[in-house]
Amino acid sequence: MARKLMFLFLLVVFSIPTFVGVAQLPVDVPREEVFVVDVIITAPVPNNHNFWITGPHPLVTHSLIMENLWIRDQETGERVMGAAVSDPVYNDDFTQMSVELRDNIYWSDGVQFTADDLIFTVETVKATPELNRGGYHANLNKSMASVEKTGDFSVTFHLTEPTPRFHAILEARWGALYMMPKHVFENIDDLAAYTYMDGPYLGAYLPVEEDPSGVWQLFVRRDDWERSPAGIITGNPGPKYILEINYGGPDRKVIAMSRGELDVYYDSDFESFQSTLETAPAARSWYAGFPWGYMGEVSTRELIFNFGAENQPWFHEKDVRWALALALDIQAVVTDYMGGTAKLTNMPVPTTPALTAIYHDPMEEWFQNLEIEIEEGVMYKPYDATIPDQIAAWAEAEGYEVPGDTRAVFGSGWWAHAPDVADRLLMKHGFSRDDGGNWLTPDGNPWELEVLSDTTSVQQFHFGNAAADMWKDFGIDTSLSAHERTLYTSTKTTGQFDIAGDWFSFTLVDGDAWPAFNRFHPDLVVPVGEDSRTTGGHATRLTDPKIGEYIDAMVSISPDSPENFELTTEMLQYWVENMYSIPIVAFNKFVTWDERYWTGFPTFENPSSMPLYWFMGGKLTFQNLKPVDS
Amino acid sequence: MANDVLRATIRDLFRFSLSFRFGSIILMIVGILLLLSFFSPFESDDRRVVPRNKPPSQEFILGTTGSGQDGFWLLTFAIRNTLMVSGVAVLIGRSIAVMVGMLTGYLGGKTDRVISSIVDSIIVIPRLPLLILIAAIMQGEMTVLSLALLLGILDWAHPSKRYRAMILSLRERDFTHTAIFSGMNALKVVVQEHLPFLIPLLLADAVAGFLWAIGVEVTLSVLGLSDLGTPSIGTLIFWGNYHHALLRRRVWILAAPIAASVLMVVGFYLVSLSLSEYLDPRTRLSRLTMEE
Amino acid sequence: MTLLKEFILPRFAQWLIVIFVGVTITFIIPRLSPVNPVTETLARMQMYQNIDPEAVQAMRATLLDLYGLEGSVLEQYVNFWKRVLKGDLGPSLASFPLSVNQLIGVSIGWTIGLLGTSILIAWTLGMTLGSLAGYYPNRWWSEGLEKSLITVYPVPYYILAFVLLMAFTFYLPIFPLIGGARGTAAFTWEYISSVLYHGFLPALSIVIGATAHRFIMAKALTTTEKSSDYVQYAQMAALPQRKILFYYVTRNTLLPQVTDLSLSLGALFGGALIAEFVFGYPGIGTTMYTAINNGDYNAIMGITLLSIVGIATASLLIDLIYPLIDPRVRYR
Repeated sequence: MARKLMFLFLLVVFSIPTFVGVAQLPVDVPREEVFVVDVIITAPVPNNHNFWITGPHPLVTHSLIMENLWIRDQETGERVMGAAVSDPVYNDDFTQMSVELRDNIYWSDGVQFTADDLIFTVETVKATPELNRGGYHANLNKSMASVEKTGDFSVTFHLTEPTPRFHAILEARWGALYMMPKHVFENIDDLAAYTYMDGPYLGAYLPVEEDPSGVWQLFVRRDDWERSPAGIITGNPGPKYILEINYGGPDRKVIAMSRGELDVYYDSDFESFQSTLETAPAARSWYAGFPWGYMGEVSTRELIFNFGAENQPWFHEKDVRWALALALDIQAVVTDYMGGTAKLTNMPVPTTPALTAIYHDPMEEWFQNLEIEIEEGVMYKPYDATIPDQIAAWAEAEGYEVPGDTRAVFGSGWWAHAPDVADRLLMKHGFSRDDGGNWLTPDGNPWELEVLSDTTSVQQFHFGNAAADMWKDFGIDTSLSAHERTLYTSTKTTGQFDIAGDWFSFTLVDGDAWPAFNRFHPDLVVPVGEDSRTTGGHATRLTDPKIGEYIDAMVSISPDSPENFELTTEMLQYWVENMYSIPIVAFNKFVTWDERYWTGFPTFENPSSMPLYWFMGGKLTFQNLKPVDS
Repeated sequence: MANDVLRATIRDLFRFSLSFRFGSIILMIVGILLLLSFFSPFESDDRRVVPRNKPPSQEFILGTTGSGQDGFWLLTFAIRNTLMVSGVAVLIGRSIAVMVGMLTGYLGGKTDRVISSIVDSIIVIPRLPLLILIAAIMQGEMTVLSLALLLGILDWAHPSKRYRAMILSLRERDFTHTAIFSGMNALKVVVQEHLPFLIPLLLADAVAGFLWAIGVEVTLSVLGLSDLGTPSIGTLIFWGNYHHALLRRRVWILAAPIAASVLMVVGFYLVSLSLSEYLDPRTRLSRLTMEE
Repeated sequence: MTLLKEFILPRFAQWLIVIFVGVTITFIIPRLSPVNPVTETLARMQMYQNIDPEAVQAMRATLLDLYGLEGSVLEQYVNFWKRVLKGDLGPSLASFPLSVNQLIGVSIGWTIGLLGTSILIAWTLGMTLGSLAGYYPNRWWSEGLEKSLITVYPVPYYILAFVLLMAFTFYLPIFPLIGGARGTAAFTWEYISSVLYHGFLPALSIVIGATAHRFIMAKALTTTEKSSDYVQYAQMAALPQRKILFYYVTRNTLLPQVTDLSLSLGALFGGALIAEFVFGYPGIGTTMYTAINNGDYNAIMGITLLSIVGIATASLLIDLIYPLIDPRVRYR
């Protein structure tokens, strides 16, 4: 008996190598026909393509099978036509919005997409409380009075009040309200419970097979891919199959790419990216060489103050905030802590090419002339425009080649490292140093500071470390408290921190501030202990009424009008003068792909579409791919 | 008298048990490392004090980490904290266990039956999911001490059962009856006559507690559920993974805590093995025959 | 009758106690949490989209109602019991509208399969090797086996699994990185072999530790049995050694091992959880790991509750088999 079992066991052990050598993808398709895409979360709701209910869906799926009216390209800031063919057109007082739709796209069952589908979509979502993903149900009820069919492919929305940003519901940044197939959905009784697994879909790909636990999902290109927006725009067939898969943390992604089982991943960090360079010879990121990563996502990484913190009342002192900023050696932050793979920004708008042109460049002169008052009558100009050059010099000394203009690569100038000025600013407010050189607060106690950091976001964690180290060197008793995402977030939003790493952009990619900035309205501030997310407010708990006035003024201004940009510029200047947050860098996503099987992914040399492939615009990124052989 | 028994036990063990000799030498090394942490030139939360990611060398015998810490000194802190967690856990757990064991063992009857069946039920409850749930719920509040407490509270049911069995058998022994007939009071009997027998069992059993606590500490830390700011065997592994030590071929960063944990548990285990062997009357008999 | 009264009923009562304690603990613990599921869910919705603040307030009201966090604690406790008795573990917070039942339903099969197979292999191996080593204590192989298993046995479970993972997926990439099988389930050799292939490393990591445990125990018991009178008689009667060992000795050592199995089931289960998340195996360990990362405490709670009930039931069943193999219990 025992001998038999032993034999069986040995049989299993020795038969293992016979499996080896087979392609180890979880699906049976030829490796050269499938583009394998990393998703950072496992679909917790597998086998469900109902993208109108709340609940997270696989991050990449929507761009393959769904359509929005418009897509905002996050690289260029341009509006890309999705199911629409015209821009949104408003009447003079923004109470009506009209749109023309494509007359040449079809659902995957062959039925044509028309104005009826759009009208059905908005009316159904407006009438069904469960279909409230992204708050669209609530939003439509608030702003849309009715919708009118003005032609087979044209629609006019009648709004309840002047709403110059009504189209935002239908325009994808990551995603927006997705089109519904009226001819199928009108026969479904309970749309909230409907899984929409069998289509028909409007995107260029169709789901074929998925892992029951949601780890991977396989898509096949539609035979009539030319009748989808991505097919029309690119004219390229794209890969036959797309496999979406979540390997887990950065380590596994790197291993998977080295084994040829992954074509593109993101949200890595400098170190694991380096491992990829060593183990996958055909891998690259945005730049062919240093500094590699893609830093164009519309988001900045920054340090925020907790204005509600009772133990740090001096945060309300503008000079104290400036002192903390000037105590940072930003050149060392970027080089020592992030290996030079970062793009600086000195305001809460990232230094992407589009936004640099709208805000950073026009404001450069203002920055250079900006003065802060150290002591009565003694002024100081904190801005150092040469910091990108300093980083470039460091890079060259390290043997790297800088791929272009230093400002385009490393971002804007930043605040000079001026601990002496910081000293004087603090002393002005009653801070003092003890015999050991450590700072005492105005009430005579050692100044303790805690920096909250998110380990899930590696880049932010790195500069959180840097800030803690540098403030410690500066004489503040600084500690770092590092948590994983969920805990970090709730600690932050309930105000249990002094200073925290954070990410946001004050504007969208087109430079419009209101949709992103309204969270800072003083009306939304909740006390420490309560969660700032309950009101949709921001964790920093800033109660400056002037910020509220700016936000209120923006509501009724058209996002495309010059006044909107003037007002936003003024608001940004006000924010910077007050150092309400310490912006550090534009977001480095380290989108990394392997050119072993596929080429045509957007790069610095060939920015054909946005590399943020998990956004709605990713459909163009995929559609543009070509097999390596041809 | 208890002291004499203990001393004699250890002397015997050293003389006759190879695994005890090995085990105690390993534990001695671990103990020295632990003590060294008090002489570390760095604070446990110092970063950027040495160059980053340097392989082991004469200057840094266990290399340096991704945040610029000295691997060797960091390890001494980690050993100290992990042993502290497991030590406190074992102390709490075994105290509860001894009390429950004695209560059930001496009182007997209905009390025994009720408590015993509760204990039996608690043994069955899988502890890891429960620990994960509690740690996930406690979130950032989890400190080294609260973890120790938690582990202690969850690790007493199994040992209490063993103590009860031991006491039941002791109670029936002749010398117990003799002592009671000769007018010794119950407490004295327990302390002078029974405790010496219980102590070696307690020691062997404490080791099982250490093994479990170390394992759980590592697991929870790797899941990011412990206090990541305090160096411990588990958090060292967490941060090593976080900085991709293996991918970047910086094996030393992970090898040190892994080797230390293996050393620790093997050391403990060998000692406990020799102890239980020693306690077993049959091996004791064969030892006696050998001595002749 | 005595069997029922003395053995089965108390054992059943214990089982009820476990369930009661388990349900109560899993009810209390999450209510001490600083995390509010409603705000967590709201936040997740806002991750990629800027939502109008007024719309946020409207959603909040709906969610409070949905998650069953209304009413006094006692009412919630009673409702909780009602739901548990119906086998309803509530909605998943991170994967809403999925229920925790559905989450567990997808993954539990993998865990049972992995754990069941591993225990079976480890039991057979550990018992066989342990009995042999106990019966022939001085052979080179028995000493070698003992020494190596004793060294492996106390190593923390995660470390063992992690070392296996790095060794066989990265340095020597012969095993898959994630998953439980290739393609969709089908009764084909291709699919079944892929299940075996994917399950090999996770199972190995459990088997090593469990075998060591079983080996040590089997060896100790066999050593004891070997010195008993009946073995001496059998040896004097010149019965074949193999027969003595496997027919007489093993039979007697089996009983305490069964009891031990029912007691160590919880620890083995913990091992399976760790193996799954280390190897990206699709069982409830991975589901739990995802739930930890998403702050889905309802799912963690459900899995904890289920594992308490499941393990308690499994060990009850094992104990109920006991009288079948031990005549002493039957005829007492």
